[in-house]
Amino acid sequence: MMVEGQAETGIEPVLARPRRNGAPARGRTAAVAARRLLRYLPLLPSLFAFLVLLGYPVLLAVVISFQKMGLRELVQRSTVWIGFENYAAILRDPTFWAIAARTVAFTAFNVALTMLIGTLVALLLGALGRWLRLALSISLILAWATPALTASVIFQWLFDSKFGVVNWALTSIGIAGDYTNHSWFATGLSTFGVISLLIAWQAIPFVAFSLRAGILSIPTEQYEAARVDGATDRAIFRRITLPSLLPLFMILTFLSAIWDFKVFTQIWTVRQGGPAGETVTLAIYAYLKGIAGAQYGLASAVAVVMVVLLALVLIPYIRMMLKTQDAL
Amino acid sequence: MTRRQVRRIAINALGVFTIFAFAFPVYWMASTAFKQPGDIQTYVPKFLPFPPTIDNFTTAVNRPFFPDYLRNSLVISISTVLLALVVGLMAAMAVARARFRGRKSFLLLVVVAQMAPFEALLIPMYLVLRQANLLNQIPALILTYFIFTLPFTIWALRGFIAGIPAELEEAALVDGANRFQAFWHVVLPLLAPGLVATSIFAFITAWNEFLYAYVLMRDTANFTLPVWLATFRTAFGTDWGGTMAASTLFTLPVLVFFLLIQNRMVGGVTAGAVKG
Repeated sequence: MMVEGQAETGIEPVLARPRRNGAPARGRTAAVAARRLLRYLPLLPSLFAFLVLLGYPVLLAVVISFQKMGLRELVQRSTVWIGFENYAAILRDPTFWAIAARTVAFTAFNVALTMLIGTLVALLLGALGRWLRLALSISLILAWATPALTASVIFQWLFDSKFGVVNWALTSIGIAGDYTNHSWFATGLSTFGVISLLIAWQAIPFVAFSLRAGILSIPTEQYEAARVDGATDRAIFRRITLPSLLPLFMILTFLSAIWDFKVFTQIWTVRQGGPAGETVTLAIYAYLKGIAGAQYGLASAVAVVMVVLLALVLIPYIRMMLKTQDAL
Repeated sequence: MTRRQVRRIAINALGVFTIFAFAFPVYWMASTAFKQPGDIQTYVPKFLPFPPTIDNFTTAVNRPFFPDYLRNSLVISISTVLLALVVGLMAAMAVARARFRGRKSFLLLVVVAQMAPFEALLIPMYLVLRQANLLNQIPALILTYFIFTLPFTIWALRGFIAGIPAELEEAALVDGANRFQAFWHVVLPLLAPGLVATSIFAFITAWNEFLYAYVLMRDTANFTLPVWLATFRTAFGTDWGGTMAASTLFTLPVLVFFLLIQNRMVGGVTAGAVKG
């Protein structure tokens, strides 16, 4: 199969030996065809991973969402088609609507919080002196690098009702009243508050660093020209910095929305969707129905609805990604 | 004081507050881990772990099954990295260096796969692995994490390879090396930093993953460190010292690795997104 002893990797340097127009010698067409096929060889393992290991489960999710699929059907290997019954069931369920609305609100709040503080921190990085900037960068990296699971555990310790340092600090400051033995996880809203804080704490560094890198990559000539023309600091920020950052800002918003919409680890580790199911989001709901409740068909329908909702953000994101990565 | 000085002081104060807000949780974890047992659950917190002790770490390491969790996490993360690197490098080399029909479609597939919401694919993945009799087996997690990390691996390596001039390989080819030799002696050494950064990213992803490890593994002996930590209430009760020591041990390798590659993390995801 080897052609010229060079086709092992099937890789051909882009600029190597212009041979496109040079027609191959007669009788070597088969070798050329084989060589052309060989070029696809290094892609095969990845294609297998994408189409089989990833594609098949995706397909299966859609298929199962039209079946009655529980533990019994799974064990008996029977297939019971029920059409749109699973979708009808979840759409009829008022709990599902409450959970979907809660998930969207939770995502929107987290994205807004992350983007707002992230932008402020990016500007702060630029305004600080050398040493404080270095210290801030290090502390941002600490928060960023902390695994989601560790962060969830730490925040429960910080917000512990009896010995948590947050309750002690709030009580000592005294403005907000007495927080001794205050339980942060007694209501859904307050639990969400802690989870949002935890998610934002970890997500802000990435946004801040990305925006900071974006600000630094704006050509200084633009600023100089504006200054020469007598623009004020504020006008420069509004007319140059903001418009240049807009595409990056959009991408970061999309990315945060995608990440926050499907978050599982933090919510589950903090209170497993409690108290009384008040912090159950779609990702938790799918888990509870599917894995804990063994209603695989219903849970797959939930997953499909999740993906459809995500697609609203995903599709414009991917289009933007492809546009900015012009040299595919 | 002039207005400028007031402004300077305000900005610095805000800076110090922000530094504190982002660093404190991590500090509190480490400091709790090194405290004497009696100094942890106090109504007025002790801010310095003095005199420090490693008792909490001893407790954490001596919990039942800890060596199993550590071994599982290491085996799974390292296997994931190796698998994703080998498969991803082949594909990245091809898309970065060769022109062929379907190349753009393949790259689109990579982008879409990278965006796949794995949290939503839990149920079908669970059923597929169940069909394949892989539930509660370590390879199930290796395979899953391999698919998680492969798209990013291809995408990142493709970028690193594109940064190496193709002329270098051509020169080697002209000098009589075959394609494999050109790759091995010319491209690979230049690619080393990119390979390290990419594998660290894959390692962190696999090391941190919780949901699939939690769902796919049933026997305690097959748990990974995140699953163990998530059940700290069962594992440690209200022993926050032990919990924080375990968290510190789990976080430390991630922190070290992260510091090594953080410069590359910012640009990678959003490259080219600023209008120049």
